[in-house]
Amino acid sequence: MILKGRAWPTELWDDPWKLPRYRRGARMLAGLSLGALAAAVGVGELGPWLKFADAELAFASAALGLPDEAVDAAWILVKVAAVVAVFVAAPVVIVWWERKISAHMQSRFGPMRTGGFHGWLQTVADGIKLLLKENITPAQADSWVHRLAPAVALVPALVCFAPVSFGQALCAADIDIGTLYVFAMAGVSVMGIMMAGWGSGNKYSLLGGLRSAAQLVSYELPRTFSVVPVIMFAGSLNLTRIVAAQQDYWFGFLPKWFIFYPVVGQLAFVLFLIASVAETNRTPFDIPEAESELVSGFHTEYSGIKFSLFFMAEYGYMLLSCFLLATFFLGGGSAPLPFLKFIPSWAWFFGKSTLLIFCFLWFRWTFPRLRVDRLMDFNWKFLLPWSFANIAFAGLCLLF
Amino acid sequence: MKTAAPPTRSSLKTDQLFVNLGPQHPSTHGVLRVGLTIEGEVIVKAEPDIGFLHRGVEKLAEIRTYAQEVVLSDRLDYCSAMTNNLAYCLAVERLIGAQAPPRADALRVIHCELNRIASHLILLGTYGIDIGAFTPFLHAFREREMVLDLFEMSSGARLTYNYIRIGGVMRDASADWAAKAREFLAYFKPRLDDYDELLSYNPIFLDRTKGVGVIPAKKAVSWGLSGPNLRASGVAYDVRKCEPHCGYEKYPFKIVLGHAGDCFDRYHCRVREMREAVKIISAALDGLPEGEVLAKVPKVLKPAPGEAYAHVEGSRGDLGVYVVSDGTASPYRLHVRAPSFVNLAILQELFVGQRIADAIAILGSLDIVLGEVDR
Amino acid sequence: MSVEEVLARLFSQFPKADKAAAAVRDYPTVQLKEPSDLVPAVQLLKEEFGFAYLDMVTAVDWKGPVDMRGYLQEPNPNIFRPSGAPPRESAKPAPGLARDAMTVVYALSSLSEGLKIFLKIDVPREGAKLPSLTGLFNSADWQEREAFDLLGISFEGHPNLKKILTPDFLEGHPLRKDYVHVKDRFDVSNPPDDVGSIRPNLRRLGDLDA
Repeated sequence: MILKGRAWPTELWDDPWKLPRYRRGARMLAGLSLGALAAAVGVGELGPWLKFADAELAFASAALGLPDEAVDAAWILVKVAAVVAVFVAAPVVIVWWERKISAHMQSRFGPMRTGGFHGWLQTVADGIKLLLKENITPAQADSWVHRLAPAVALVPALVCFAPVSFGQALCAADIDIGTLYVFAMAGVSVMGIMMAGWGSGNKYSLLGGLRSAAQLVSYELPRTFSVVPVIMFAGSLNLTRIVAAQQDYWFGFLPKWFIFYPVVGQLAFVLFLIASVAETNRTPFDIPEAESELVSGFHTEYSGIKFSLFFMAEYGYMLLSCFLLATFFLGGGSAPLPFLKFIPSWAWFFGKSTLLIFCFLWFRWTFPRLRVDRLMDFNWKFLLPWSFANIAFAGLCLLF
Repeated sequence: MKTAAPPTRSSLKTDQLFVNLGPQHPSTHGVLRVGLTIEGEVIVKAEPDIGFLHRGVEKLAEIRTYAQEVVLSDRLDYCSAMTNNLAYCLAVERLIGAQAPPRADALRVIHCELNRIASHLILLGTYGIDIGAFTPFLHAFREREMVLDLFEMSSGARLTYNYIRIGGVMRDASADWAAKAREFLAYFKPRLDDYDELLSYNPIFLDRTKGVGVIPAKKAVSWGLSGPNLRASGVAYDVRKCEPHCGYEKYPFKIVLGHAGDCFDRYHCRVREMREAVKIISAALDGLPEGEVLAKVPKVLKPAPGEAYAHVEGSRGDLGVYVVSDGTASPYRLHVRAPSFVNLAILQELFVGQRIADAIAILGSLDIVLGEVDR
Repeated sequence: MSVEEVLARLFSQFPKADKAAAAVRDYPTVQLKEPSDLVPAVQLLKEEFGFAYLDMVTAVDWKGPVDMRGYLQEPNPNIFRPSGAPPRESAKPAPGLARDAMTVVYALSSLSEGLKIFLKIDVPREGAKLPSLTGLFNSADWQEREAFDLLGISFEGHPNLKKILTPDFLEGHPLRKDYVHVKDRFDVSNPPDDVGSIRPNLRRLGDLDA
């Protein structure tokens, strides 16, 4: 018989752990965690080394009689390189992870071949493929706008990572207006998407660009306002100080994370999470690129390296959103319980961010897409009023 | 310095935009082109353009023998080829006055209902994609795979079966096959609840489909809609009930009706129809009679001059076949009343005033197969 | 309401109508004689007897057996024979069928009663014309366009009588029995000049010389 020897889903359903593919899935998850940990170690342990390098650099320059500016310039370059390394490496891991998670949600395997272990090199291979592909500019396109758009979308995403504090004393630029800076820079990316929509010379791109402009500009508001209570409680816009304000514990065990502030904290967290999903153009808010409606939205006409720049910008923003969520609401690098403080702060930070990234992926592969006018309604009639109300709650809390 | 007055709504020059939805588009479910004139996101005019897949099946029938035409009928609605086979074979049987044996009738019912499940699963999955949920698609295809396995066991093919023949079915189904079919039903029933939880009752999905693309009953009848599209508007018309063929009158099942006639009703009618199909298959498997599966029908048919019409409840609606014989071995004229073709015509009216996102939801809910639309 | 009642009423109102000689098996079939009777008859059925559902519009061309040049490829090609398939036995249609007319067939359903009735009306092959039913049924829209496209029957009063299935450049109406296919840029096979040399079986059919 044709069916002989072939596993029917019934058999899988009875005892999902009986079959090797599920064991493989479990092993895969363990491997993922280890990989994430290893990546985090790489970044986290960089801190002390950077300090050491800084000292060495200062010493060397003093010995050579160079001005202090030279040390600063070299030091900035090192920091930029470190942040860019995170920015470039993270999408590679996240994309692979997204593929595996979505596959297991949909009873598939996902990539299994490239690299040997569960296709872990698949994203790298795809990245190389995208780099080598022909760089196409459509005849109808506004050539310069078309070419500039990916850069305009990507650079702000990159710049946004500067003030993020990856753990204690792990911050590329400890700016006092860090929060404001991040939101301001993230807002610039809309320009890139609109340029892509306009410059592609494609009607679907144009529609996607328009939708995107409307959506991103609208969701900036609740996203920013939902953080205002956090800033009020922390008393600073500086991301490092916001983290520092969450270090303590109530009653000795409950961390003073903003998400644990009764009502205000949870509301702010949910509002910020929803707005962040919308800002990163991911399902259920992936309206600018809704593939069933607008083919691919603003990046319909992009391929090869230009497409991968957009792609990196999207994943960069997703990563940034998770970092910000961890920073604002989950205490950044602080340990959830006092006796866990021996684990370094960067490990907590990346652990929390990874969990949030998983939430983003989970949403994407579970929810359908909202309609564009409903999306606007949701923003202006639900998110924004509640974020204002939340500021009022926070004010009342601080007053009494 | 004098500043220019800010632009007002009347002073701004706005223009309509013409957008081609298809023929290469992710959610036209094939090579359908709709010329949309849009104003912002709202559609002001829609002109469906079909025929990209026109293969002239009706013309080809003129030079092929009656038995050869069964193969072509597979290619019409390739998502539910069994019902196409059945409609054509019933028409020819009516023309020559043949009657399929009882076991063949029961097997036809089982296969058609299994195919209905497979076809509705495709709708469930692709409709999820149209709305933006990708995961239900693969879950639906996991179950469809099992139906295809069953078809592979009985007919040897997985898409174009050519299983139902003039006078019966191609081959008998073994006891092993029946056991597998029962196993599938036992597995499939709880999955239907899963789909409802995963997709049907998802608030975003409901928001996207409830009250969208409403077709009142009168309009549905006037546009000639059939199948779940018509029943979603509350019109209880099911060929299996009003003109039972293959002994459908023996099986317990309800006509699944909707109330509002919106996208959700059209979608959910199909989901509930799968439950009815499960009931029919169980009953048919329980009462599967013994005996021949193919009546004595000559290899080369030369029916006496005359004409016959037979229609069945296909997965997409009332599928009719009109055959005219002139006494030769080929049909003189074959016409297929394709439900998708007739259902699709309402698009030009239904799209007007909708947003693009809703248009996709409406098009998906009509559940067309372009192979059948273009023939 | 029974079929007999409906038919009796129809025949009394339209004396020229009669039961069709070539009836659709198992279904009541009415032959209308006058094109001007069509719309009133259908209106009567729709408004008084609830035949509100136009099932099918199609037509049959009675010119006789098909012209083989209407096909792109020979019928039944047998690739295992160098000369192709042996010539087919020429079709011998039943006498009396071939005539210079087309029959347009309408199927109307009453969904509440579960009844179906077929209406037939003959039109001449040249300049075939009928009043359109789009005013009564929206479903007539595309089905009449299809009949126009494939059989060349023009429906007067149709709001949008255009080709629907065949491509714009295709000339003629493929389901007419005398349709001859003109090779276009989408035909991959050899140019029309030497069809005979490469497809000997086509020549043997004797149709290319005609």
